[in-house]
Amino acid sequence: MTQDQNQKEPSKTLKLADDLKSDARFLPLAKNPKLIENLIALLFILGILCFAALGAAYWVNANTQVLGLTLAGGFACMGVSFVLWGRYLLPKGPFSEERHPIASNTQEFEAFKDSFIGRGKLAFGRRKFLVKLLGAISGVFGIVATFPLLRSLGPNPDASLFRTEWRKGSLVVTFEGRPVKVDDIDVGGFLTVFPEGHVGSFVSQTLLIRASTQPIVTRPGRETWAPAGYLAYSKVCTHAGCPISLYQQQFEQLLCPCHQSMFNILDGAEPVFGPAPRPLPQLPLYIDDQGYLRAQSDYNEPIGPGFWDF
Amino acid sequence: MSQSSSATQRQKKDPLESALKWVDERLSVGKGGRNLLDKIFPDHWSFMLGEIALYSFVILVLTGIFLTLYYVPSAAEVTYHGSYAPLYGQKMSVAYLSSINLSLDVRFGLLMRQMHHWAADIFLGAIAVHMARIFFTGAFRKPRELNWIIGVTLLILSISNGFLGYSLPDDLISGTGIRIMFSIVESIPFVGTYLAFWLFGGNYPGNGIIIPRMFVLHVLILPAIIAALIGAHLALLVHHKHTQFPGPGKTEKNVVGSPFWPNFFFKTNGFLFLTAAVIAALGALAQINPIWLYGPYVPYKVSYAVQPDWYMGWLDGALRIMPAWELQIGRFMIPNQFFPAVLLPGICFTIFFAWPFIEAWYTKDHSEHHLLDFPRYRPKRTAVGAGGLSFFFMLFFASSTDVMANYLQISLNIVLWFFRIATYIVPFVVGIITYIVCKELQKTGEMAGKRKRFTLVLRSAEGGYSTVYAEARPGDKDVFAKEPEPVELTEEVNELLSEQAELITTASELPEVVKETFPKGQSGVKTVARD
Amino acid sequence: MTLNLKKSRSRSLVFYVIFVFICVIAGIALFWSSSENTTEVASFSGFKTVTKTDSRLPLLYQGSNKRATPQMLSEGKILFDENCSSCHGLNATGSSRAPNLVGLGPATIDFWVSTGRMPLAAPTVQPVRKPVKFTRQQVLDIVAYVSSLGPGGSLIPNISGVNNANISEGQSLFALNCAGCHTVTGAGDALAYGAFAPSLHYATPEQVAEAIRTGPANMPRFNSGNLSQSQVDAIVKYVTQGIQRPDNAGGFSLGGIGPVAEGFIGLLIGVGLLMLAAFWIGDRA
Repeated sequence: MTQDQNQKEPSKTLKLADDLKSDARFLPLAKNPKLIENLIALLFILGILCFAALGAAYWVNANTQVLGLTLAGGFACMGVSFVLWGRYLLPKGPFSEERHPIASNTQEFEAFKDSFIGRGKLAFGRRKFLVKLLGAISGVFGIVATFPLLRSLGPNPDASLFRTEWRKGSLVVTFEGRPVKVDDIDVGGFLTVFPEGHVGSFVSQTLLIRASTQPIVTRPGRETWAPAGYLAYSKVCTHAGCPISLYQQQFEQLLCPCHQSMFNILDGAEPVFGPAPRPLPQLPLYIDDQGYLRAQSDYNEPIGPGFWDF
Repeated sequence: MSQSSSATQRQKKDPLESALKWVDERLSVGKGGRNLLDKIFPDHWSFMLGEIALYSFVILVLTGIFLTLYYVPSAAEVTYHGSYAPLYGQKMSVAYLSSINLSLDVRFGLLMRQMHHWAADIFLGAIAVHMARIFFTGAFRKPRELNWIIGVTLLILSISNGFLGYSLPDDLISGTGIRIMFSIVESIPFVGTYLAFWLFGGNYPGNGIIIPRMFVLHVLILPAIIAALIGAHLALLVHHKHTQFPGPGKTEKNVVGSPFWPNFFFKTNGFLFLTAAVIAALGALAQINPIWLYGPYVPYKVSYAVQPDWYMGWLDGALRIMPAWELQIGRFMIPNQFFPAVLLPGICFTIFFAWPFIEAWYTKDHSEHHLLDFPRYRPKRTAVGAGGLSFFFMLFFASSTDVMANYLQISLNIVLWFFRIATYIVPFVVGIITYIVCKELQKTGEMAGKRKRFTLVLRSAEGGYSTVYAEARPGDKDVFAKEPEPVELTEEVNELLSEQAELITTASELPEVVKETFPKGQSGVKTVARD
Repeated sequence: MTLNLKKSRSRSLVFYVIFVFICVIAGIALFWSSSENTTEVASFSGFKTVTKTDSRLPLLYQGSNKRATPQMLSEGKILFDENCSSCHGLNATGSSRAPNLVGLGPATIDFWVSTGRMPLAAPTVQPVRKPVKFTRQQVLDIVAYVSSLGPGGSLIPNISGVNNANISEGQSLFALNCAGCHTVTGAGDALAYGAFAPSLHYATPEQVAEAIRTGPANMPRFNSGNLSQSQVDAIVKYVTQGIQRPDNAGGFSLGGIGPVAEGFIGLLIGVGLLMLAAFWIGDRA
């Protein structure tokens, strides 16, 4: 070390100077830094090649795997290099710094308190009524400010939650608009149907299952609802609204794919498993004089998941 | 500086120094800059988990910017006449069409999309392990409660943003998730149906406005809040300084580790590139969310095996294992999906937010803490944390009941009943076991997991037994090794280090005399006689 | 710093790297679904044109008036007696263990035997596809014999229209009717009580058509009034091309089961590798 520094602060500098030659804390972690440097150089060259390959791959419109692997290779080379550089080529320490107390000391805090609370009293002191009014106006504005943020977004809930587009006499049609005739579907078959004119409607989507050739009575009062063995249930699960698309023919059950609620089709789609709490609404059907299936009326209860009745 | 600089050296201005001076005269970097450069970052590996999250977020933003240049947030219906035959002629939303084009017809598009999606999964995984580390080491205690609250807020916002993000392509699987979200919103008492109708523009599926709204939330509003909160999170970390594990030389009043510049800066940048490399490799090799195979969302179609992304899995699992209960009070109903999908996360996140204060109240400990706990020395907290984690794990696995039943060839019903019961039993069992393990580990102290020295049992000629320690083998934990004392980064040390940089060279550049003093392969400092 | 394996720290690192490598390989092996397309060419051998006296010889194929030969029936009876009669009875009328096969039709019998599901090795909730122990001709012999025991059921569907079918229409119909059980990528998934919808990656075009028309086990039955011939052709084309040879432009398909596999890979490999990197960069103490 220089003579000047030796004279400046003798004790501290001297101690460090003596240690410096052999003080491991000031030396890099690597026993052989040259090797690490060569390794880093190699990695950077490899990285350059990777990125160049990426450019070439992009130029020739190579597939995602080539593009991604060259990109990953380049980044990996850079990453490993930087880590090697930072970990093995720099003084390994450990180094420390002092922690200062988070809280201010008494004088600072008192001064701050005087500024904030003390001078604040100039504004607010003995004007509690004004402060209350200030609170009131802020509160009212805060509440009113949420109105356009929420109410303007869309319409209020309406009766569409309680009704679908099925009506008395609605023709049962497939997703192609083709009406369903009573002889069309064999026993064990199922398909998705809609009321005529509303193909694709979410709320009106209905599962039509032919479970038998004879009428089926699923519950008392539903004697005429399933003529010729055709059961029609709302396709919208009463749990969280997914379309129920699994019909297990042998178990005679519908299974919802989202959370595995299971419904017995022969007793009114009663849920027998899973989280669905209510049975699927059944659509009452009848067969018109030309043999087409039609609905007797809309569903007798709201379809889909439960909601708070507004 | 040394007086020994020659005249020529004094006149030659270092360009870097001139540049620094230029900046300093305008931005006062000299005043606070040293604080930042000297800032010490402890080196423990578990302190880098938050960095995984931070750098995944950087990748998310960069890849996300690319995606926004191609994705069109519109629910308008259009017919596909593009290059992918199985979709040719099908009706789909413009959002789905733009996502398909981006994936199959835009150069680099699929890689960017897959990197974006993998980065999101990794981002949330990193948040989870980082949060677990903070919890188990007690880093949330005073003065860091605010940082903890910011972190939990970041968790909630990131989960939401992830959900919105993978729902943007409007494919068959994510569209089903949107329907479930509608049902969850409409299950909230008093305001649910209103909120659902307002958000969607009518009864499901609404007037199509939901897609552009999700887009704005996902691309602008939530990322801006997340970025701002990350900034605050890091600012608080810098202000409070990082915590550290107890150890030799480490006290409540210091921080021991590497200085920010250049040590930590190089290592953390390396980590940034490694994160990018892992995400790029996954984006190249592992197909994620292949929306062209799923087809467009149609409200009356659905697929099976329709789990949400992993970080929403706990909610999906909760929905599956919930028994079929519904609360009917007169004409008002609190539907089934409210309890697992609204009430459960509400309670969980409230507990998360309040935890630092709950623990401070319970332990009556209101002092500052900068030294971390080893989890084994806080068995109650560790047990509660382990139990809580295992509860979330059980819910997470419960969301894959159908895939599990298919893969293990067990009845779906049995799998579900297993989860309905085990989800409540396993956390208690795990908690109790964790508590016992912590207590046991406390007894072993520093030797836990380390190989002990052999104890030789000697029998004397008279028949008595005695024990003696065997010699330490290489690899035995040497509890008597002296750890180096940390060096404080004072001005003197800084000068030494900067001089040393000029002195220390690679071995090949050492002058001959030094090569004699220091054998080959060992670099060292040479003392230079200065004039 | 060289990799000194005597030091426990480097050794642990090596073990961790090896462990992750094994997990990656295992994961890839587990989830990489090989889309083997076992195409079986229908063999029309052993048929002859119909004559009036042969009306008790059954028709087998839709759209063909060729009937089975008496030799097929006698071969089929031998095979049936050896492999099937122990459960289904010597007259195929069934028993407590197995259903009545009379009147089920050639398509049904062909589906169960040509996919290897029958003969069943042991009682089970739902038979699984396994290697077929018969040649194609032997399968047809069995089909002919059982079909001769009584009329009924559907004939083996005609798949000649598959090549010209509209694959996009197939995708749309598949998503509507089939994806709910088989998943939209055809990976298959569990149904109730131990039943399951199988993976579609091994089915031949004929088997797909047979399953659609006959509704085996818990699968619904889609007759011609539900799905027309051209619609079935489209679905068959989509299954054999779109599902069995999917465009996995993104890399390994991870089984086609979606976010479950993606979550595992993302957490175990993605976060796992990065935690290993942190292990390397940072200190252990």
